[in-house]
Amino acid sequence: MSPNSIDDILRDALRQEAAETAGGLARLEERIVVELGERRPRLRVSDWLRQLLAPTRGGRIGQLSVVGATATICLLLGVFIANQAGLTNTSPGIRLTPTLAEDGNQEVLFVLPALDASDVSVVGNFNSWEPTALEDDDNDGIWTASIPLSPGRYEYAFVIDGRWWGQDPLADEYVQSFGEYSSVRYVGGGDGA
Amino acid sequence: MTEEAAGNVYRVQDEVSLLRASLTGETEAWGEIISRYKDAVFGLCLGFLRNRADAEDITHDAFIRAYVNLRRYNLEKRFSTWLFTIAANLCRNRLRYRRNHPVAELPPQIRGGTDPATIVARDDRHADVREALTKLPYGYRAPLVLRFYNDLPYREIADILSIPEGTVKTRIHRGKAMLKELMEEERDPS
Repeated sequence: MSPNSIDDILRDALRQEAAETAGGLARLEERIVVELGERRPRLRVSDWLRQLLAPTRGGRIGQLSVVGATATICLLLGVFIANQAGLTNTSPGIRLTPTLAEDGNQEVLFVLPALDASDVSVVGNFNSWEPTALEDDDNDGIWTASIPLSPGRYEYAFVIDGRWWGQDPLADEYVQSFGEYSSVRYVGGGDGA
Repeated sequence: MTEEAAGNVYRVQDEVSLLRASLTGETEAWGEIISRYKDAVFGLCLGFLRNRADAEDITHDAFIRAYVNLRRYNLEKRFSTWLFTIAANLCRNRLRYRRNHPVAELPPQIRGGTDPATIVARDDRHADVREALTKLPYGYRAPLVLRFYNDLPYREIADILSIPEGTVKTRIHRGKAMLKELMEEERDPS
């Protein structure tokens, strides 16, 4: 047997074997697409909330600023009340507050109250789902990160001490994959990231 | 740029577009990815597992697992390597399960028949090498399948199997020698 003949025989044998037994793969893609579709319902918040919060086109920037400010006040008030009441396990909530940057991108502020957390990061399609750390320099339990984003549709979730948390109550919509939610926001009126 | 090169660029870009669309929940885009890779994944699984039903199961599971974890895939890296890694890990788990729940592996190919002599000889060699491959330990079989069925370079095989590149080369070299010995034993049992 020549040195290369075993290579050729092995290559041919494996390919022939796979070709002869691949009958079960017929319509595999269709079956999986149907299976995924049944498992992955897409949820949407009410239309009025989406209209109010989703895009930041033109006049809606002012509208969003008001909402953002109100949300921040409510958030801080909630944290204060929780602290006063001795509630240390405050449920997480986030505020995604876009503001216009000079280069045309939007500085998007990710804010997450997580009083007992020691490590908080955000993952999304804007960072290839690689964690971007949130900071809590004054140890008040409010974690923040400012990320410049061009207009578009963004999926994201937070990771709090290694746990996935993807249900931003102010998201435009959610996507769910097998029990794990991710939130979706539209920045700058874009429809695709 | 030649027409062929332009076609390749388009193909690469198109795959990234499909993956991005899949990330946003478009399952039809994922269906296109499956169409492109299902033969490669099935061949890998069949080579690793030596059992058709298990290979079909794991091929299905690999595409489901990859879709569920797609947000953890780095788009800048080679998609096939990531997908094959998922399939290889699932195969390894299935082989562990099969230690306690054994099933019949692929039967030896039917030899001879009414085919012309040259085809008979070729089919005999194929049957011999498949049978020998089944007897080979997984640690040697897996690199051989990735190398000779999937046509992967040593570096990529090392990434998929999480072993050093030097170990891949050694196992492929040693695996081929073991295959030859097993095939010769098959022909001349004395």
